[in-house]
Amino acid sequence: MAQRAVWLISHEPGAPLGGTVRFSRRYPTVEKRAKVFNGASYMPIPEDGPFMKALLFELRLLDDDKDFIESRDSCSHINKTSVYGLLIGGGELWPVVAFLKNNMIYACVPLVEQTLSPHPPLISISGISQGFELLFGIQDFLYLGQKHDTEINTKLNQLPDLLLQACPFGTLLDANLQNSLDSINFASVTHPQKQPAWKVGTYKGKPQVSISITEKVKSMQYDKQDIADTWQVVGAVTCKCDLEGIMPNVTISLSLPTNGSPLQDILVHPCVTSLDSAILTSSSIDAMDDSAFSGPYKFPFTPPLESFNLCYYTSQVPVPPILGFYQMKEEEIKVKITVNLKLHESVKNNFEFCEAHIPFYNRGPITHVESKVSFGQLEVFREKSLLIWIIGQKFPKSMEISLSGTVTFGAKSHEKQPFDEICIGGTAYLKVNTFMWLTTLELFCF
Amino acid sequence: MGPRSRETWAQRLGAFRASPSAFMAGPEGEDLGCDLLSELRSEKLSEQTKVSLLALSLEYPAQLWPDTAAAEAAATSLLDTLVLLPPRPSALRRPLLLAATTALAAGDALGPTSAASLRLLPLLLGLASGSDLGRGFGPASEQRSLQATACECLRELESCKPGLLGGRLGLLRGLLGQEGPVQPLSLLLALALRNALLIQARARAGLQGLLVAGDAPAVGIPWTWALAEEGAAHLQPQAPGWPAAEVQECGLAVLEPSPEEARELRAAVAQLLDTSYLLTPVAQAQLLWLLGWALRGLRGQPPVLFKPQLVRLLGTAQLTLLHAILALKAAFGEALFTAQDEALLLRRLTLAAQHPALPLSAHLFYLHCLLSFPENWPLGPTGEEAAPLLLGPRLCRGLLPSLLHDPMALLARLHLLCLLCADDEEKEEKAQDWSPQHYLEELLAGLRQRAALDGGPRALATLCFQASYLVVRCLAMQPAVLTPLTRGLAQLYQSRPALAPHFVDLLDRVGPELGEPLRVVLRQEVVARPGKDEALCWHLQILAKVADGNAQSATLGFLRAAAARCTDWDLQQALLQVCRALLRAGVGKGLADLLQALARQLEDPDGRDRARLYYILLAHLAGPKLGVALGPSLAAPAASSLVAENQGFAAALMVQEAPAPIRLSVGPRRAEGPVPVLQLQVEVLEPVYSLELRFRVEGQLYAPLEAVHVPCLYPGRPCRPLLLPLQPRRPAPTHLDVRALYTTPSGLTRHAHLPPLLVTFADLFLPFPQSPEGDKQGFFEELWDSCLPKGAESSLWCPLGPQGLEALVSHHLEPFVVVAQPPTSYHVAIHLPPNSRLLLRLEAAQVDGVPVALRTDDWAVLPLAGDYLRGLSATV
Repeated sequence: MAQRAVWLISHEPGAPLGGTVRFSRRYPTVEKRAKVFNGASYMPIPEDGPFMKALLFELRLLDDDKDFIESRDSCSHINKTSVYGLLIGGGELWPVVAFLKNNMIYACVPLVEQTLSPHPPLISISGISQGFELLFGIQDFLYLGQKHDTEINTKLNQLPDLLLQACPFGTLLDANLQNSLDSINFASVTHPQKQPAWKVGTYKGKPQVSISITEKVKSMQYDKQDIADTWQVVGAVTCKCDLEGIMPNVTISLSLPTNGSPLQDILVHPCVTSLDSAILTSSSIDAMDDSAFSGPYKFPFTPPLESFNLCYYTSQVPVPPILGFYQMKEEEIKVKITVNLKLHESVKNNFEFCEAHIPFYNRGPITHVESKVSFGQLEVFREKSLLIWIIGQKFPKSMEISLSGTVTFGAKSHEKQPFDEICIGGTAYLKVNTFMWLTTLELFCF
Repeated sequence: MGPRSRETWAQRLGAFRASPSAFMAGPEGEDLGCDLLSELRSEKLSEQTKVSLLALSLEYPAQLWPDTAAAEAAATSLLDTLVLLPPRPSALRRPLLLAATTALAAGDALGPTSAASLRLLPLLLGLASGSDLGRGFGPASEQRSLQATACECLRELESCKPGLLGGRLGLLRGLLGQEGPVQPLSLLLALALRNALLIQARARAGLQGLLVAGDAPAVGIPWTWALAEEGAAHLQPQAPGWPAAEVQECGLAVLEPSPEEARELRAAVAQLLDTSYLLTPVAQAQLLWLLGWALRGLRGQPPVLFKPQLVRLLGTAQLTLLHAILALKAAFGEALFTAQDEALLLRRLTLAAQHPALPLSAHLFYLHCLLSFPENWPLGPTGEEAAPLLLGPRLCRGLLPSLLHDPMALLARLHLLCLLCADDEEKEEKAQDWSPQHYLEELLAGLRQRAALDGGPRALATLCFQASYLVVRCLAMQPAVLTPLTRGLAQLYQSRPALAPHFVDLLDRVGPELGEPLRVVLRQEVVARPGKDEALCWHLQILAKVADGNAQSATLGFLRAAAARCTDWDLQQALLQVCRALLRAGVGKGLADLLQALARQLEDPDGRDRARLYYILLAHLAGPKLGVALGPSLAAPAASSLVAENQGFAAALMVQEAPAPIRLSVGPRRAEGPVPVLQLQVEVLEPVYSLELRFRVEGQLYAPLEAVHVPCLYPGRPCRPLLLPLQPRRPAPTHLDVRALYTTPSGLTRHAHLPPLLVTFADLFLPFPQSPEGDKQGFFEELWDSCLPKGAESSLWCPLGPQGLEALVSHHLEPFVVVAQPPTSYHVAIHLPPNSRLLLRLEAAQVDGVPVALRTDDWAVLPLAGDYLRGLSATV
């Protein structure tokens, strides 16, 4: 249930070592137990250098995939989870939980309280999920809200102290590192009885609950008979409750608007105290019918101090908000493209922004573009072989816009131009990104 | 060394962290541990620097204080530093407690004889119970955080020494009910409870009232180590908390608490669970694992206690919480989860395995959980990944793989799809609208299309082959899947021969179901080409793998055409590798011509030599021997192929020494013929062919002995005795040194040294050629007289056993008796090669012995004969 070591490694493609260890922490008391539990199959935690090298190799992040290397490329070397075995100095370090996000590799080695050969199934190792939770926690702490390197560096410098709070002996106490940071600052507050461990201190001031709903509509349109178009809404309800008292009870109830599609695949925050079984079972796996639970969706909870995601859901909208048509015809080094986009009448015609990306893969750089757009403007990124059609904040009254043109490409050179394993020849895609303020839900807060 | 500044320490710590082993081996390494401890008390360093020093000691105690004594001293020093801190708020108290705990636990110093342990434990317990420890322990504002830290330290010590807190369960329960910080106390109590139950169950003891909440003072009473002493023996590879079936093995089931104890236990568990919502999600998960483990298999402890928590937790997206529920599921099965619950849990897992709001790593872990789901009534063998029964095709629809997925997600989902296909095959009525096989085929075709992309990354090719391998492993018995797969792979090779190493790897790993047909199509694919291809090196690599006795002429034709194009070393070696494969497969005549041609025409001398070597091997070695000689060589790749080859041959063709599978012994004596002959009996432990036994005698006592040959020997099958004629130059016993040279069933020639064989004096006895009928007595007397004066005479007393003289003579001397007057008198004449004689008169035997008069013409024989006669009675 504990971690033997944790690492953060920044991946630097092209650098001599391929990366830098930005943070590492070992837990010697856990290591002591690992030695006893693992017996003959025990493999000590290596030093940072060899560990990083082996991990980058295993994750295929070293730029050397020219040759077939059996220990990495063999067909029987199948990895179906983010848990790896690293070959270091003739032995295998297993299980290494690791994933890459934003050019940062998050890795840890959970303690396995039994022998390692043969590998026990991951599901039987409690440290695996704890390890993931720790790494997700670190990732959230580093990247929530900020993107700048200096901010991330500051946060990286805070990590040793934070882990001393949140994970002093390798057993994770709280995956919310921000909480640990606050608890360092709140240290002088005297806590009353029954203070939840996930809530540092109490709020004093005007009671206030803010809720925001973010919905992402993801629609894929193929315009092909044998492949069905898909569109799905993924929503998140974020809350910030400034309420007095140690354990205020709040209930948020979500109701669908008339003819709104039911919420499905609902996942809630652990602070939700009870859930209707209809909410638990409503799932996009089932075929849609009238019997689907259509709310109201009640979430009673005792909120933590910080802003948190009360729940995530998915939903099916009846029609895609923007209907697209994209045609590409190849003529030697040129392609002729035609694009039509149509906004559905039920959608509010008011965006923060709206743009269509038209990438070209496995070709040379764009040398020449002749185009005609009925609305908005077209930007050309020659080296990236990319066209961006900036539509702006509104569709015209007709709700329909079109683009047609011819794109000419230069000679292909493998290193620079974008490669894609799917967009070969006439296979291509167009991506419309847009953002708007609106919601399909009504909220009630008690 | 004087105190250092903040900068020097930062530098020193940086150098240490960069490579601890290199730093410790350097000049500064030795003092680091001591320096660190002394500088913690220096007034010049800031608290922040001291915290960073302590952080180092938390991570590398084994390097800083490598033995138990040093760890003990370090812990003592850390505790002294802690006590000496001024009573104002300080950031050092917490890390000092952690560091002292780490030093003791990691340095193996924790125990009843360690003074530091006896100081630290009461201190921690006092802090944990919130008692007033006096001004030394800082301002009241720090107490709460120190209380939590003390609990963490105790928990770590309990983890490293299970049972340490077994005697304090009651106290901990009491604290949890009071004002203590809930999370640290809950986790500490849960761990201590689990360990105590585990140890008591193994010791077959009850809980002995350990749990009764008492008001015992936290400090002041001596620490009890009894449970920890028992527990220490149990910190060993434990029976996993998984699966439930192993409960019996880990001995948990035997604890049967009394009704009163059971009530106390239930109350304690309920108390922990009731306040669990106050814990952070990860801590809740830990609590569930610990309690699940503690109560698993415990009689009289219905797991329903967990039920109220489950409903609350099932809705969350937290990885640890769902994982903990699965652990409870595995531990309690149907006792906690009905079939409906199981279906709901599967539904939630399926949902979580694809929820767009969760990260990929979580999806993959949930998919793993689905395939290893602890079912109430599993059908298949345990330990193998399988689709749970209640996870029907409909639930799986959302989990189908697609080319757009990340490679790991694709493989995980593909595995599920394969399991569905396997199920689908078994079902009689198939779904009309959707066929998993068809879907699978399309997906594999898409993967191959991507892998065929010229210049595409290797990862795409690897993924395609991994998917193919996975499909073959799951669906090896379904020709409907394998046939298109074989065809597709052949096409893939056609369009991108550079993937040859992947094909070779695949052929190495799959069974004959795919391997055989794939070999055939790949061979056809290669030999059908003119051999003038750009991709010649890949073709040769494939051919070296797939060439066998079939389609010889096409293969040889291809090689002949290719030979002209093999101008550089690499290609020539690849070509010869194919020849080697053909040699092994027993291809004969056409190959000899090709090898001869290669030995002449190849440009590179290395290549020519190797071709010649193969030709010689082909001409001189019989088929099976050739197969063995060319078998897979374990030799590391060498600069020259010939060297590598030779290393292989060294094992195969050279005679190596081995422990003998042969036992040799001397059989009954056979006193006839002109020379003494040993009858050897041979037994073997494994089949042995072409056995040659070589004998050697020390010195010049005997003429050199001829080797003995046996064509073959099998274990358990009797073999006629082997005759070894001896040609002594002097009639004396000796040892024969024996060596065996033989061929093993695998065709290797071995030699072995056998234990020496003893040739006794009696082994040399031969009878005299028979005297003329009638005058035996005269013949004997003539011999008797002729011994003197050159020879020697003696008489001795030969003791007799209970059977008497007759038995003795018939046993040992029968063939040599010339005149017999049983039972009292015998005249014996023995010929000792090369030309000595030994004559015995055994007359007037008495009950316990017989006087023997002996004469010989060779005085050197006399002591041997004396020993022989005296030894006779013992062997009757």
